[in-house]
Amino acid sequence: MNIAAADWQALWLTLKLAGLTTLLLFIIGVPLAWKLSQWQSRWRHGIEVLITLPLVLPPTVLGFYLLLLFSPNYAPGQWLSQLFDGPLVFSFTGLVFASVIYSLPFMVQPLLAAFNANGQRLTQAAAALGIPPWAALLKVLLPASRAAIVSACALTFAHTLGEFGVVLMIGGAIPGETQVVSIALYQHVEAMEYGAAHRLALMLMGITTVLLLAARWLGHRLAPRGSNNEQAKPVVGVLG
Amino acid sequence: MEITLPLFGTASTTSDSTGLSVTGLVTSLNAATPWQLELPASGVFGLTGPSGSGKSTLLAALAGQRHCRGHITFANTVWQRGRRALATHKRTLSLGFQDSRLFAGQSVADNLALARRYSRRPLPEEECGRLLEAFGIEPLLYQPVELLSGGEAQRVAVLRQLFNNAPLQLFDEPLSAVDRAQVLRRLLPTLRDFWARYPALVIWTSHDFDEIQLLAQRCLWMDSANLSAPLPLPEVAQRLDSHGVGDSCRSRIEARVESLNDGLLTLDLGGISIFADRVAGHYRKGDTAAFLLEAGDISLSVEKPGLSSILNCLQVTLVAKQNLTDGRIRLRLAAADQVFYADISRLSCERLELREGTTYFAQFKAGSLAGL
Repeated sequence: MNIAAADWQALWLTLKLAGLTTLLLFIIGVPLAWKLSQWQSRWRHGIEVLITLPLVLPPTVLGFYLLLLFSPNYAPGQWLSQLFDGPLVFSFTGLVFASVIYSLPFMVQPLLAAFNANGQRLTQAAAALGIPPWAALLKVLLPASRAAIVSACALTFAHTLGEFGVVLMIGGAIPGETQVVSIALYQHVEAMEYGAAHRLALMLMGITTVLLLAARWLGHRLAPRGSNNEQAKPVVGVLG
Repeated sequence: MEITLPLFGTASTTSDSTGLSVTGLVTSLNAATPWQLELPASGVFGLTGPSGSGKSTLLAALAGQRHCRGHITFANTVWQRGRRALATHKRTLSLGFQDSRLFAGQSVADNLALARRYSRRPLPEEECGRLLEAFGIEPLLYQPVELLSGGEAQRVAVLRQLFNNAPLQLFDEPLSAVDRAQVLRRLLPTLRDFWARYPALVIWTSHDFDEIQLLAQRCLWMDSANLSAPLPLPEVAQRLDSHGVGDSCRSRIEARVESLNDGLLTLDLGGISIFADRVAGHYRKGDTAAFLLEAGDISLSVEKPGLSSILNCLQVTLVAKQNLTDGRIRLRLAAADQVFYADISRLSCERLELREGTTYFAQFKAGSLAGL
């Protein structure tokens, strides 16, 4: 297979974006899902809807609002520009920022399902042995939710790999900076370079399939055998 | 005059009580009858009563896992005052749940290690080993908890709580799924022995009155959300009977260990020797052992019987007779300051012409002493 250097670059950029997004979302998603699962307030539903929005909104809608948010014409954009030492529009940092928002439900939903199923019972049991809440999260809840964590990370990674609309709106197609595989593929099709498009599309499909299979296998291995806990089921595709 | 109240959540010396003090505790279940409870800093207390009377709710409220109002103090530390409550993990207690709630995704050993790691009074290594052996958990140590049977999970959950060794230990029907013979012969003597060496205040909730009789001297009774003060066991047995909750009649008897020969344990009951032929083996001379005697296992004679394979023969005084609904007679017998029951047929009672205040001979086999 003859793949151009620019396409390799796009592939590397895509993997870097997906990896970084998954890592950041894991750090954000675990405490967020945990707090949400413990929160009894009616505001919880509002927050859950907000987190789920990127699932149902067309990516261009999200991209449009992010474009406004990043715009140096408004205060948030100015502040973000200062914070990240340059405008976020058409930059890799902006892409990471957007991906974190865009893929948030893919990390939070599987974790929330697992924490809702077992979280309260296990944290109560932990507290009843004198284990403080944060230790209960790290030492009791996370080990009990391993299968869900694998699911959440695999979904987040795979979903970020295929991101298109948001990148198009705020990232553009700067090679080595914001030109991810989906954009490069789109450009190949527009230029009627079907051979190159095939090669990229097949590669992305291969990577995603292997990733999901690996996650499923790992989920099976980590899921406690003989258990009928909701979280224990290997759930790649908990969202459908 | 200025009144100093104990500081919230911190140790204070203004209160005299070092045990558990509960006043005016109200949950959604007992709005009309606030719970009051005074218990010492150590000792084992049973808690029983009909299903749905609120026993689990009481334990959850004590642990701070159920919304309630009132005042709870333990070891001079205020846990709850009015609606202000100390978080569960800051209370020096442990609570075991009916459904075991082992930490999923971890091995039995991990579960136990975690409980010990957060213990405020960690047990010595050799004590942990002794408990592991007594509970028969050693072969299960490296199994994922999901693979355990219901009974095994309950044994691990109780052990996890013992490893935590909290000053106040609350148990909610902890051995309901464990094989009865194993509970009576092995686990209860181990628990009694453990709490004798590592004193704690223990509240043991159970529908199995045998468990309570073998572990506790006194028992709390809860009925329609009414909580009693600690009661003597015979009174609780009567209440269970009147609710149709009690099944067979077993009496608790205490005796001192005299010797152990050829697997036969000799016990001293107020100067009379009695024998038990199934022995857990961890008794030492001078220990006090408690056991249960099934009313149906006891036979009565008017004259001292001759040599017999039945090893135990006690001279007893008939205190009272009571007609049972199934046609049998329940006899209340006294020997060496202890009271126990024997059930015999009406025909036997008539043939022997039993009279209250008269002395008879009660016989029972060495194998019928349960709970040793």
